[in-house]
Amino acid sequence: RLRILYTKILGVLQNIPKDAAYRKYTEQIVNQRFNLVQTETDVQKLQDKLNSGHIEEVIVQAENELSLARKMIQWKPWEPLVEEPPSDQWRWPI
Amino acid sequence: TVRPKNEVEQKQLCAFGEYVAEILPKYIQQVQVTCFNELELLIHPDGIIPVLTFLRDHTNAQFKSLADLTAVDVPSRQYRFEIVYNLLSLRFNSRIRVKTYTDELTPVDSAVSVYKAANWYEREVWDMYGVFFANHPDLRRILTDYGFEGHPFRKDFPLSGFVEV
Repeated sequence: RLRILYTKILGVLQNIPKDAAYRKYTEQIVNQRFNLVQTETDVQKLQDKLNSGHIEEVIVQAENELSLARKMIQWKPWEPLVEEPPSDQWRWPI
Repeated sequence: TVRPKNEVEQKQLCAFGEYVAEILPKYIQQVQVTCFNELELLIHPDGIIPVLTFLRDHTNAQFKSLADLTAVDVPSRQYRFEIVYNLLSLRFNSRIRVKTYTDELTPVDSAVSVYKAANWYEREVWDMYGVFFANHPDLRRILTDYGFEGHPFRKDFPLSGFVEV
């Protein structure tokens, strides 16, 4: 099932413009995990290699990543800054 | 005695802050790491929901837990209130702070769609400071008395209140 999820994520990522940092990094992570999933058929060893909790948690994480990728297409966070803050906004102490 | 400086952790936090700032340049205005190894992200108010969903869902930043939602009142600024979200990552055991600004009459997007825990926190911020949250289910007073007028935590509200008790 992880394979289906990762192929879906990669498909959604293709829709994002190529120069976005988000696309680069997520593709890296997803490809890494995808390769590990394809080479290992033993569940225990796969868990150890991924080193991020049980397989069910990894599945949940992949589903989250998929929904995040879909939302990113709407929000487009790689554009430059929306608005500059007023100059004394983040000055501390006042 | 002075707390010993943990250089390694500070460098890791700096690197992570730069990573997040690189992915979301549209909303993040500044990233800082305090001397006690705490990472803070300063955000434009339009970007609350995208940034919070990113921090919750992304594999490298699984901040599943909203620890705190507060506001800070600095009356001398143009955008008076600063809204602070404290997030905790269970997998990587690290915390991050997300700060946004708003003035008195501009509504802010509610974080309830991202974290269910934000419900009562936002009610408290509304009651105590008067920051209105759009798309919040059931926004009403939570700590003040039933007929209470005014928003207590603001800096121009006197310590003993307007009404004699």
